[in-house]
Amino acid sequence: MDPYDVEGSGIHVRFLEANPTRAKFIIQNFNLESANSLRRYMLAEIPTVAIDIVEVLDNTSVLADEFVCHRLGLIPLNSRGVDELIYSRDCDCENYCDMCSVTLELNAKCEGDEIMKVYARDLVLASNPPNDQIGQPVITDEDRQGSCIVKLRRGQAIHMRCIAKKGIAKEHAKWAPSAAIGFEYDPANKLHHLDLWYEGDDPKQEWPVDEERVNLDGGHPAEDEPFDYDAVPQRFFMDVETVGGLDPDQIVNRGIKGLQQKLAEVIHELDGGDNANGDFGGAQSPTLNGGGFGGNDAGYTTPGYGGGGSVWGPGGTAGGTTPYGATPYGGSAW
Amino acid sequence: MAPSKTDQQWSVDFENARKHHLFSNPPKDRTAYPELLELVEPHIASFNAIFKDGGQLEEAIKDIGEKSFSDRHGNRLSLRIEKIFYDKSMLPPTNKVVLKPENRKVLPAEARERHSTYRGKMSARLNFKVNNGDWQSLDRDLGYVPIMLRSSRCHLESSTPAQLVNYKEESEEFGGYFIVNGIEKIIRMLQVQRRNYPMSIRRMAFKNRGPGYSEFAVLVRSVRPDQSSQTNALHYLNDGNVNFRFSWRKAEYLVPTMMILNALVETNDREVFQAIVGTAQSEGLGQRQFVIDRVELLLRAYKVYGLHSRAMTRAYLGSKFRSVLQLDELTSDEDAGTYFLRKIVLPHLGADNDKYRMLLFMIRKLYSLVEGESCEDNPDTLQHQEALLGGQLYGMIIKEKLEEWLNSLRYPLNEWGRKQDWKPFTSQQFQTDFVPKILARAQGEDLGKAMSYFLSTGNLVSPTGLDLQQTAGFCVVAEKLNFFRFISHFRMIHRGAFFAQLKTTTVRKLTGHSWGYLCPSHTPDGAPCGLLSHLAHKCKIATQSVDVSAVPKLVAGLGVSDQVSALLENSMVVQLDGRVLGYCSKKQSKVISDTLRYWKVEGGHGVPVEMEIGYVPHSNGGQYPGVYLFSQPSRFFRPVKYLPLDQLDYVGPFEQPYMSIAVTDPEIVSGDSTHVEYDARAMLSVVANQTPFSDQNQSPRNMYQCQMGKQTMGTPGTNLNYRTDNKSYRIQTGQSPIVRSSSYGSYGLDNFPQGANAVVAVISYTGYDMDDAMIINKSALERSFGYGSIYKTKVCDLEEGKAGRGKKNIQKLFGFSPIGTVTAAMREKLDEDGLPRVGTMLQNGDYIAAWHTVSYDNATGEFDNKDGNTQFFKYKDDELAFVEEVRVIGSETGTDPLQKISIKLRIPRTPVIGDKFSSRHGQKGVLSQKWPATDLPFSESGLQPDVIINPHAFPSRMTIGMFVESMAGKSGALSGQAVDGSPWQFDEKNTAIDHFGEQLRKQGYNYHGNEPMYSGITGQELSADIYIGVVYYQRLRHMVNDKYQVRTTGPINSLTGQPIKGRKKGGGIRVGEMERDALLAHGTAYLLQDRLFNCSDYTKTTLCRGCGSFLSTTPTISEFTRKKRGALTVRCRRCAKLADNAAPKSEVWSDGQGIRYHGGDNIAVVAVPGVLKYLDVELASMNVRLRYNVDR
Repeated sequence: MDPYDVEGSGIHVRFLEANPTRAKFIIQNFNLESANSLRRYMLAEIPTVAIDIVEVLDNTSVLADEFVCHRLGLIPLNSRGVDELIYSRDCDCENYCDMCSVTLELNAKCEGDEIMKVYARDLVLASNPPNDQIGQPVITDEDRQGSCIVKLRRGQAIHMRCIAKKGIAKEHAKWAPSAAIGFEYDPANKLHHLDLWYEGDDPKQEWPVDEERVNLDGGHPAEDEPFDYDAVPQRFFMDVETVGGLDPDQIVNRGIKGLQQKLAEVIHELDGGDNANGDFGGAQSPTLNGGGFGGNDAGYTTPGYGGGGSVWGPGGTAGGTTPYGATPYGGSAW
Repeated sequence: MAPSKTDQQWSVDFENARKHHLFSNPPKDRTAYPELLELVEPHIASFNAIFKDGGQLEEAIKDIGEKSFSDRHGNRLSLRIEKIFYDKSMLPPTNKVVLKPENRKVLPAEARERHSTYRGKMSARLNFKVNNGDWQSLDRDLGYVPIMLRSSRCHLESSTPAQLVNYKEESEEFGGYFIVNGIEKIIRMLQVQRRNYPMSIRRMAFKNRGPGYSEFAVLVRSVRPDQSSQTNALHYLNDGNVNFRFSWRKAEYLVPTMMILNALVETNDREVFQAIVGTAQSEGLGQRQFVIDRVELLLRAYKVYGLHSRAMTRAYLGSKFRSVLQLDELTSDEDAGTYFLRKIVLPHLGADNDKYRMLLFMIRKLYSLVEGESCEDNPDTLQHQEALLGGQLYGMIIKEKLEEWLNSLRYPLNEWGRKQDWKPFTSQQFQTDFVPKILARAQGEDLGKAMSYFLSTGNLVSPTGLDLQQTAGFCVVAEKLNFFRFISHFRMIHRGAFFAQLKTTTVRKLTGHSWGYLCPSHTPDGAPCGLLSHLAHKCKIATQSVDVSAVPKLVAGLGVSDQVSALLENSMVVQLDGRVLGYCSKKQSKVISDTLRYWKVEGGHGVPVEMEIGYVPHSNGGQYPGVYLFSQPSRFFRPVKYLPLDQLDYVGPFEQPYMSIAVTDPEIVSGDSTHVEYDARAMLSVVANQTPFSDQNQSPRNMYQCQMGKQTMGTPGTNLNYRTDNKSYRIQTGQSPIVRSSSYGSYGLDNFPQGANAVVAVISYTGYDMDDAMIINKSALERSFGYGSIYKTKVCDLEEGKAGRGKKNIQKLFGFSPIGTVTAAMREKLDEDGLPRVGTMLQNGDYIAAWHTVSYDNATGEFDNKDGNTQFFKYKDDELAFVEEVRVIGSETGTDPLQKISIKLRIPRTPVIGDKFSSRHGQKGVLSQKWPATDLPFSESGLQPDVIINPHAFPSRMTIGMFVESMAGKSGALSGQAVDGSPWQFDEKNTAIDHFGEQLRKQGYNYHGNEPMYSGITGQELSADIYIGVVYYQRLRHMVNDKYQVRTTGPINSLTGQPIKGRKKGGGIRVGEMERDALLAHGTAYLLQDRLFNCSDYTKTTLCRGCGSFLSTTPTISEFTRKKRGALTVRCRRCAKLADNAAPKSEVWSDGQGIRYHGGDNIAVVAVPGVLKYLDVELASMNVRLRYNVDR
């Protein structure tokens, strides 16, 4: 038994550091597959809120509409209580409503001689969100301004209605709760998963060693310690840093919960449960080709290019036909 | 305390706050980037040199001199140009709306935005007199001549950055180009033969001049004070004779050299003999038998002409060349001869005696070449070249057009004489008619039009050819694709279009002579390789003569003699700008050049530091020795440090090969090195300098980067709102590179960022990075990595191509018809005024402007629309675009209604699969997958790469610089510091790896920049550590959206029935011969038939089985009933017989003309390629009949 494993053989989480922006912890007695699944889930599938639709009412700034819109999308919004919001595609409403979206309004006009900066704090809530936190721009700087969106000169104005929706980072990076998640196991390379390259005579000269982590992971291997072929990684160092929309512990919690839910779905399906083809409301990968699964998919259409039809004219004829009669093969007199 | 001046020193640091401050407060005193302005200096200074006092144009007027014409009564009309006036760009007098004079200025930005020409009025004060009367003068308008920006004729000449911003220019606008029809044009520099230096040439083609001609010649490109040139050549004939050759108005002439010598000065055979062979008492005369023999023959052969005095010789020459020189009948033969000598023989020298001495020197050099005493000069090295500057060429053209204008008076004068019964010039009639009827009919008075034509096409329309070897390609568009490309246009120098056709590669070779003047790595690969070079960034070009009036005296004081000696080593020539100052001994020549050099660097001796002292030492069969001093414009020169005085010296390419210049301080050899470079990087061009660690790359990669740097989507300018380029690319999220060269700051390149720092992992991860493809992190793209836009300008002109101006001629107006109905569909994209709404999204077929026809109502003075129809300009591109700006372009008069608008469109271009990216090391790649961030490998800290490239991109290309940049970038990103990436900082003992490895280690990373990484998919640690760092990535302008070509069905060629070609037209891609071969070889017959036949010109046709012809079949036409439904009946006209009564009624058919036949019904329907029928028809026209046998 591992002498450092004071907690026994059950899954155990030990926090090294926890503060409002970051959670560093070790998961012990875990397996690699699950740990990585957790990492992937936290990176890509935890729903958050981000501005998705922008109605440009006025924009006389120097930045182009789509450019400002993109900037708006990347502004982290508070996503605490995002569960109270439903996905817009699951909502019964026509376009968007309070059930599935939060509306923010940005309205600024520069009337002084000084250059005016428009910040994330200038985004004003203009709808009734399910709770009073969700949708607020995340502001962490000392001046309580948030990120700068655009600068305005005298006479320039910007007026936009921003509709923030719930989504996941698989669809767009703006919904990512965390930009990067630290993940490490076996810092002393005891498992020999990695063959460290070194130019000189001594790898120690070239490779930095995080002694602290090595100690946490059971110290350096003893000189005469035989290599254990069957050893598998069991202890994982993770470092979750939030972009601000969710607390780091929440990210981890939701990550675990989400994973569980996914597994439950699989079990449910395997069991042939009574509601086999139901939707469990979990996160969903974006459906690349527009439509839902198995629907009548008309094939990929270039978004924004008038739909249907190729650039050479409106669509219509299905399959390949030549202009010379229905089909050149068969049915003719030759 | 007065505010300190704007700081002009830049370091490698980011200096963001300072740059930010400069942006928000453009300096009011001086630019912060003086080095940037220096880059274009040759262009502007050469343009200014045309118009300054005593400048090129004044010299040109002097050289043109008086033109005279005679009537049939012996009267002479003389004309001359007294002065040329050239105004700044102003509104024309026809504009009566703008009243304040300061508002009448037309600024360059206005010309750009209006798609017009930035030009100023030029006029000439013409003097004329009849016989010996008084000069009368009158001013003539010469039209509007384009003005170079920031030249002395430009409103921006000495503007400060703050003013420039007010004038809607770039804060660091440096000018040097013209604006013609809204397009920025630049006159490219040209490499031409070095002026006033006689070059020994050996060329087999010289033998073709005629019988007896040898391959030897001495050539001198003699440049007049007005910068126009005249090439003189001395040809050696096999018998030892020497002929003088010149070109005049594109025709070649040959004259015996002796005749010219005799015409120049009063001389005799003895004098000529001694001047060529050497004085009688000089040492070594006995060894000179070769030359003595030939000079003897030279003198003897000339005797046949029997010309004995200077006057007689001149008259003889004059009589032969008077018509060639377009002289009038009243000029005497002798005067014509004098004119000939002035215009054609070594015109760079004024005095006849100088010309005489120079010609003798050339003969000596020629004989020395033939004898093998000295070698030929290589015209392809920079040593014997100089730059023909844009301004000089511009001035030369102006001169020629002026001269042609005066010459062209011949025809209206003649015409007037014919109509007026040959009245004399002294008559009253002539006085009254001269201006309105004669002068007004002279050709080529509109100089402005000619100059605009030259600039917009780059074509030189010239009766003389201006002593140049090409007539086209002088001007190029100064594309502002990104800043590298833009600045490169000004540093570009071309060898000449003529050399592009040469099969040999000698002209393209990089010789050591161009060290420090032309960049070795900044030349394109492919056709223009080596012909189109770029100046090294510290290379300057002289734009005016420096004052060398004291030099002849100093040289005389150092000891030269007029007499030549027999031996070459005892008679080393000393020349100043192609003028022989004297001869001296070998030893003395070294003393002279060394002394002059010391004085020139020290200053205060009347020897300017820019003067070039070309000391060619005596050698055994090497370059013809001597001391050649050059002080005139067009020379390349560059700064180096003169060691004896530890001071700045300028050296030129002529002297450089014979000097010892150390590159670095440790290389200085005591007693040998005279100079040392200030900085080895001075030999690279501006663009080549920006490749970080280029010294570690394989050299072709640096060439590629110079090319790709210029194709990058960057920031074309900061005044985008006032620009109307046809197409311009812009990266929206540019960054300042972490790794930059030492010159990055001083050229202000942060004002025009053109890429982004990307985290790059070198790993073969998915297979999607094979063969130069690259994977980009999808999340990075979503966070706007490489996001760019294209701006396009569409001009809607209602009076396109119509010359008819004026209010009454207007037939169309913008807007909806006032009497027609305006539907909602019409208004979808358009505003009330019929112009598009700013910000509107456009798709193919959308309306971008509305117009209607009108006619002018004289009674009311208004425009009426009669038909009520509204017509539209449409957006015809396939891509989605947004209206960025709408420009309403009024007329110059300011009173006419709107006839022209220009619409700027913005096309967003997010990176898509297939777009091209590159690092700064010639490592281009294509985006092959947008990889989800979760699946990407990541480091222990969770960092994922933005870009993944394949390790196979490196071994064969050896771009070590990219590895070093990656490490340097990583270290810089970690420390927040910009890193100096200039080449030649490291060497074998002090390597880049150690430098940056040490830094990385201190920051807790692996010494070599590797990191352990984990598979994003399994979470397992990858078994190898991965090289990962930060590299500056450029997005290139080649994007799939501009290139993809697909077709199912589409337009076909009407003649052959095959698909047409061309992406724009929706054509197909040809399956050519080789593709066909491949399909055959694979045995894919069905595919082959599909490509070549079914998807091409598949045609069903009828064929007569009887006679085997397509052409004789014809459909039948029933005479009585309408065509029945069902199959068409086809019969063969050839096999049918005319129906007579005997024919059965049911079998009779008729063609469309009512002729009745029977028979010919053995018809088959076959499928053939459409071209086969076409071939049959073509052959039929040649009386060849094809017969097809049909089995079934």
